[in-house]
Amino acid sequence: MKKSFFCSAALFFLIASKAFGSEVAIGVFAYQGEQAAASDWLPVIRYLNQALPDHHFRLDQFDAIGLRQAIAENRVDLVITNPGYYVTMEAEFGISRIATLDTEDSHPARALGSVVLARADQPGLQSLSDLAGKRVAAVAPEAFGGYLVAARELLGQGVDPDSDLGEVRFVGLPMNRIVEAVQRGDVDAGIVRACLPEQMVNQGKILLEDFRVLSGRRDPDLPCALSTRLYPNWPIAVTRQTDPVLAKAVARALLAMPESGGMSWAVPADYQPVHDLFRELRIGPYAYLREITPEGLIRRFWPWLLGFLAILTGWIVHTVRVEHQVHRRTAELRESLAARDQAEAKMRESQEQMEHLSRLSVLGELSGNLAHELNQPLTTIGTYARTVLRRQESGNLTPEAISEASTEIANEAERAGGIVQRIRHFARKRLATREPVSLPEIAEEARRLIVGMLARAPEVAIENRLTSNCQVLADGAQIQQVFLNLIKNAIDANRDLPIERQNLRIVIEPLDNRVAVHVIDQGIGLDAGQLPHLFEPFFTTKPDGLGLGLPICKTIIEAHGGRLWAEPNQDTQGMCFSFSLPCNELPA
Amino acid sequence: MNYQPEACVVHVVDDDPGLRRSLRFLLDSVGWTVQLHASAEEFLDVVAAPQTQPRCLLLDIRMPSMSGLELQQVLRGRGIDLPILFMTGHADVSMAVQAMKSGAIDFIEKPFNDQKVLDAVAAAIRQSAEAIDDAGRRHAAGAMLALLSPREQEVARLVAQGQPNKQIAASLNISEKTVHIHRQHVMEKAGVSSAAELARLMLRANPTALD
Repeated sequence: MKKSFFCSAALFFLIASKAFGSEVAIGVFAYQGEQAAASDWLPVIRYLNQALPDHHFRLDQFDAIGLRQAIAENRVDLVITNPGYYVTMEAEFGISRIATLDTEDSHPARALGSVVLARADQPGLQSLSDLAGKRVAAVAPEAFGGYLVAARELLGQGVDPDSDLGEVRFVGLPMNRIVEAVQRGDVDAGIVRACLPEQMVNQGKILLEDFRVLSGRRDPDLPCALSTRLYPNWPIAVTRQTDPVLAKAVARALLAMPESGGMSWAVPADYQPVHDLFRELRIGPYAYLREITPEGLIRRFWPWLLGFLAILTGWIVHTVRVEHQVHRRTAELRESLAARDQAEAKMRESQEQMEHLSRLSVLGELSGNLAHELNQPLTTIGTYARTVLRRQESGNLTPEAISEASTEIANEAERAGGIVQRIRHFARKRLATREPVSLPEIAEEARRLIVGMLARAPEVAIENRLTSNCQVLADGAQIQQVFLNLIKNAIDANRDLPIERQNLRIVIEPLDNRVAVHVIDQGIGLDAGQLPHLFEPFFTTKPDGLGLGLPICKTIIEAHGGRLWAEPNQDTQGMCFSFSLPCNELPA
Repeated sequence: MNYQPEACVVHVVDDDPGLRRSLRFLLDSVGWTVQLHASAEEFLDVVAAPQTQPRCLLLDIRMPSMSGLELQQVLRGRGIDLPILFMTGHADVSMAVQAMKSGAIDFIEKPFNDQKVLDAVAAAIRQSAEAIDDAGRRHAAGAMLALLSPREQEVARLVAQGQPNKQIAASLNISEKTVHIHRQHVMEKAGVSSAAELARLMLRANPTALD
């Protein structure tokens, strides 16, 4: 800002003239003292009084606190102040700019900036971010160009001016003292308004090469060294109480004011950059941003908080809903699993029971023969034993007789034991297993069992046509039961036939990639009407049969992944009962 | 007529060798002669119709191939008469009933009481011995009566029926004196002293002789 100099007599005249016409008080922030301010703004006052002769304009000078109070008490009609105070008063009292000062060599919206100087012989200080922990001189905490503008840039470069600087020394005005302090080395850097160093150079007070501008930049709108972005120039504003007609007249007059002393007025600039500065530094209208109180936080973050609350609520609702659903479905799943387990256990149990029953029923059907079988050795044993006693009584018990009797008794006891053993083995309950089994061996065991239990067992020939090394995984006891059932059925069905027609053949052969077992008789066969019902439960052709044998066999074979079927022999008489089981080819 | 136990033969037919041998061990202990047969067929090969010694058959009712009942029928068909004792298991009651109807004298249930076996065998042997004795007496009576001439046989029958000489003479249309002479010859040849004795002899030789 350039200053013009007037004599103090003229000033006195102006101040005294407020007694004439309509008095209009223009409150001015006099940052450099009353005298300087009066001389600075005199051309404006004079012009207004000329342009609007119905009014009498006068200049009231205030410091920052005084100006605020004057606005609050409606003692001023117009306000001229720096952008920083303007924004603060705008927020607090609703003053409203009508024009922005336009000075020589600058753009009204981009006129103010700061420069941060360090001594050129301090190589460690190149940018504002280097100032962390350093001593810095500035005008005052609330000084716009003398502190705040630079403070914002410091913050932007990661140095919090409130806490990260080693020391901030507020030295007040004039700003020359700051430059001098830097030059002396009292401080590491100093904050001054832009263009001040150039003025001092022009006045011959300093040498530019003694200083370095930190984070220096150039701007086409201001031909001075800069460390900061630029802000709008000073505004002139009206208060809420200012007469609108007057406000309009003043605005029109100011815009029409010719340049005087390097000073004119432009349309009001956008002061948003100043707002941004205050918000970032959390001062002035945005000082509440500093208060980390719940209220402050809410005021500061309420849109975020609201969003967060909405998201949180949504999330909670979603979580609760999902949790509820998961809970419900888990319960359902658990319930259905439990039900399935229960059903499976029940089924397994009843199947085991049925198999056991069927074994017992086969056993029951065999029991007549069994009694006969057991009777033989028991009778023999009893006879020998009593005869020994009898012979002893009659005195004709020879040593040969004793040894014959004892040998026979021992043999017969062993035989009886064997029969009992087989029954127990057969009747014992077993859990289903799957292990490699040999079908020919099982067939042979079944044959021995049947022949051992029956008094007049027919011949059972086993023909093993398996060539490959093929392994069947099965429950041997169950498969044996199937063999027993099929053999027993064939024998029962043909009991009344001549002995040579009762003979059976068991053929074990490969069938595709399975193993097939055929139990072939030469008996009377079955009626065509009986064939379809063979595997139905409780269908029986025997007077004392349960009709469970074949259905159970079918269940067993199918549980092993196989098939059970019956067909009349093609070429000869009789029936052929067959079952197939999957087998796994073993590597040779 | 008394028979020594050794002279009496007990045939045992059972497919179970152990049981067969135990029965020999038992029967042997009281002195019977025991013959063991593994099957009905084997027994049929050796059994003979003429009966000179008391004998009986201990027969298992249930055997592979020919059963005890079948053997019984075959024996009857061949006119071989010998007392049969069936041995049965507990489930063979119906078969045992059938066996008894077909003329078996007893059945013994397995496992059996050895005393019962011995008693039953003794009874069967006794029956067999009596049958042999009966057959012997019948044979002797027949032989004596065979000495009579046809006319004497006619007279003997009428005498045995208790007819007086006068009536016999009228029936045969001969003189009473001739009847008397025939009667004396009949009594001498048959070795009897009364009409009642003659009747007994004739009935022994032929139970229907006086009808």
